[in-house]
Amino acid sequence: MLNSKLRKSCRSSTISLQNPKISYLLSSFSHKSTETPSGSCQFSHSAPENRISPSWFCSNSLPSIKNPNGFHQNPLFSSLSESKNPISASGSSSSRPNFSGFCSNSLPNIKKPNGFHQIPLFSTLSASGSSSNSLPSSKNRCQSHQSPVIWTQSHYFSTEAVVEPSTTDGLTVEGIMASNWTILDESESDWRSHAAAVAQSIHLIKKRLKWKKLVVRLDMLSMQLNKPDIWDDPVHAGKISREHGTLMGKMKEVRSFERELLEHIDMIKLAHEENDVELESESLKALHRMRKNSKEKELQAMLAGEQDPCSCYIEVQAGAGGTESMDWAAMVMQMYKLWAQQRRYKVTVVDEMPGEIAGIKRATIKVDGEYAFGYAKAEVGVHRLVRISPFDSNKRRHTSFAAVAVIPIMGDGSTRVQINESDLRIERFRAGGAGGQHVNTTESAVRIVHIPTGVTATCQNERSQHQNKASAMAVLQSRLDQLEMARQAQMNALHTQSLTDITWGSQIRSYVLHPYRMVKDLRTGYEVSDPDSVLEGDLDGFIMSYLSASLDKDVDDQ
Amino acid sequence: MSTPPTSLKPQLPLFLRPPLHSASVSDLRKWHDWAKNLASSVGTTFLDSDNGPDSDLLCRELKWLMEDAIEDHAVFSQMGIENNQTNVRLRMGIEELYNLWKQRIEERRPFQYLVGCEHWRDLVLSVQDGVLIPRPETELIVDLVADVVSNNEGLRGGLWADLGTGSGALAIGIGRILGSCGRVIATDLSPVALSVAAFNVQKYGLQDVIELRQGSWFKPLKNVEGKLAGIVSNPPYIPSDNIPRLQAEVGRHEPRLALDGGLNGMDDLLHLCNGAALMLRPGGFFIFETNGEKQCKSLAKYIENDIRGSFHSLDIVSDFAGIQRFLTGLHQ
Ligand SMILES: C[S@@+](CC[C@H](N)C(=O)[O-])C[C@H]1O[C@@H](n2cnc3c(N)ncnc32)[C@H](O)[C@@H]1O
Repeated sequence: MLNSKLRKSCRSSTISLQNPKISYLLSSFSHKSTETPSGSCQFSHSAPENRISPSWFCSNSLPSIKNPNGFHQNPLFSSLSESKNPISASGSSSSRPNFSGFCSNSLPNIKKPNGFHQIPLFSTLSASGSSSNSLPSSKNRCQSHQSPVIWTQSHYFSTEAVVEPSTTDGLTVEGIMASNWTILDESESDWRSHAAAVAQSIHLIKKRLKWKKLVVRLDMLSMQLNKPDIWDDPVHAGKISREHGTLMGKMKEVRSFERELLEHIDMIKLAHEENDVELESESLKALHRMRKNSKEKELQAMLAGEQDPCSCYIEVQAGAGGTESMDWAAMVMQMYKLWAQQRRYKVTVVDEMPGEIAGIKRATIKVDGEYAFGYAKAEVGVHRLVRISPFDSNKRRHTSFAAVAVIPIMGDGSTRVQINESDLRIERFRAGGAGGQHVNTTESAVRIVHIPTGVTATCQNERSQHQNKASAMAVLQSRLDQLEMARQAQMNALHTQSLTDITWGSQIRSYVLHPYRMVKDLRTGYEVSDPDSVLEGDLDGFIMSYLSASLDKDVDDQ
Repeated sequence: MSTPPTSLKPQLPLFLRPPLHSASVSDLRKWHDWAKNLASSVGTTFLDSDNGPDSDLLCRELKWLMEDAIEDHAVFSQMGIENNQTNVRLRMGIEELYNLWKQRIEERRPFQYLVGCEHWRDLVLSVQDGVLIPRPETELIVDLVADVVSNNEGLRGGLWADLGTGSGALAIGIGRILGSCGRVIATDLSPVALSVAAFNVQKYGLQDVIELRQGSWFKPLKNVEGKLAGIVSNPPYIPSDNIPRLQAEVGRHEPRLALDGGLNGMDDLLHLCNGAALMLRPGGFFIFETNGEKQCKSLAKYIENDIRGSFHSLDIVSDFAGIQRFLTGLHQ
């Protein structure tokens, strides 16, 4: 319903119809609204399937516009082209260079953005209806959109988001922090304790998002967007506009969380004054809910990296030590399969080389789902096991190692490295003898070598050579993409702390089954006394503590 | 179009059979452990004796056998191991599973015959005793044909022939890349092969694209003389005296008719070259699979010297193992 309203409003705008830049903006807007008409409700009422599904704060959940096909499938866009082709109307010969141009920069392509918050234009506009309500009404949005000259309004927004929210009597989140209210256990029904806990979370989230830098950057972007000639270079303008929208989206989410907190405090105070027990207990419950949610939001704020939203490959390789290590490698792989299943990611085995007696020499799985890479990257490194070996008849204690690598799978956008067929050498893996009719084998693995870089990929787990080749190509593509990202990151000082190291890394965790039982992360000190639960995929504690440790050590970054 | 010219009834591949059997998880585990032990005991003995499978490969086959035999394999693989009495539905009785795996190891019966199918390209083709199991090398023929037709509408919409189609692999692969007007006639001498090919053609819904004909090489194609846009074939090309020393899976189980190419392995290839000169239309394309460099070169020489003027643009193409495997050319 919202969508049809929007369509109408857009059709009525002649400028939009004839200007491809605007159609792009509108199309991404409508695209998002179509998917989540409930708008920022997602934020405050979120009950995601994945326990920690960072549908917000992600800097990158821009609607996918890199793929020109995806773009054309956009409902609004097609409605526009029905009446008049916006591209030809502008005199540009093809939409493709234009639109791919918007994305040729560092913004990754997310196939399934699940929050509309990150839409550049939308956030810009919704803020102009400066509602104190943390859930902007759809009516507001539509009204803003009826304005034909859309981007010139952006300055409304940036100022609005920067305004510090407060309660009616002037209390702010920083004020709450300064009041040093005691934070009691979550089960204690004390509103100040809840409020202080939430305020603390907001503080942490801001820190993780590098709030001050964010504000400065946003101002700068707004200024640029307000320049009248900005669209003379549509590629640049698109980039600026997208970044502005992304940052604005992040900021808005925090602000609305903040506002929600302060509103509840207002309510509680009001309930006190009026002796309204029911209102008071309701607001208290709401605060309690916020407190619970805030932990999640803190974690989500950690996954703001460019590749974090991607699916990924997880590779496990047995260390030296024969069967013992191969068995351990299989256990580690199983741990990740179970972890991924618990998170409702889709798991596919890409490549698996079994050990002669037990376990695996190495294996690669593909983990499909949002933020798979963001979490799994915390697992890169060597994992060590100490136990009484089931393979040792003398029941001696053994130490085994398995190495884990994690590779993000980029979307189909233009950040992907172009691979030339002619740069590839495709070889039959373990080929021998005359081949052809002479040989009957179920071994149809191929190895693909990318000659210029020397990067290789093998797949042998599919049942046909053709499929092995396709899977290996996908792995190769991701490896090359990752290499390219690492190269770009090196050039870009801002990204130096990125976690995308392609190497196997050093020892990160110890799993001891004998003489005592414990799993301990050597990087964070986080430990658990029940190895079984960890080996059954209960890894989130380790992952989160590592992610937060690696992010929060940067104290003065706020 | 593709009613098989025989009344043979092909076997259903295991993964398509109804799950009429069942076994407890622990019994299945028992079978699995037994089978895995058997596979491990092979070590590299087959590999050393005739380039057969080693235990690694056999273990992977075992995994695939389970995938095909167990109705809900994904669920099964997550079930607890110890003493689980839950029943699992199977497409084959557990005794037969014991039986089959014994045949695999003791008789070297090809894995593909156990499960009644071979994954080839993006297809899953039914195969059974009496029909050659399509080889990975042969997949490339479809890619090469795809290259040729991609910039030649005439060939893309023309009539193609797959001679000695076996399971129908090439005909189906090519039938799926031709344009809407493209057709394939697939022939074989073997009635079993044709019945299996018919099953596969049906499975991929290509009855209107592929016509099956029984007979020796070009004999069933009299009515399309000079009209073919393309000819593909993977004819028998193993020299007769190599046959006794073949890998056991091949020599003991696959049909000799599909393998034996006469004294130097070139009998059928030469016959096909001669026939192609007659059957192809001007500009028509051929591709033949061969035993390797020697056959490719002597075939090319034969074409250049003995049937000079028939073909041009001869090319020898290697497979992924680097063996010069295919000869291609265009009719004048
Ligand atoms: C090596 S197999 C190839 C099968 C299939 N094209 C493939 O690539 O998997 C050779 C095939 O040629 C068939 N064949 C042998 N002699 C033949 C003949 N004289 N006429 C027609 N087909 C023949 C065999 O039955 C067998 O199916």
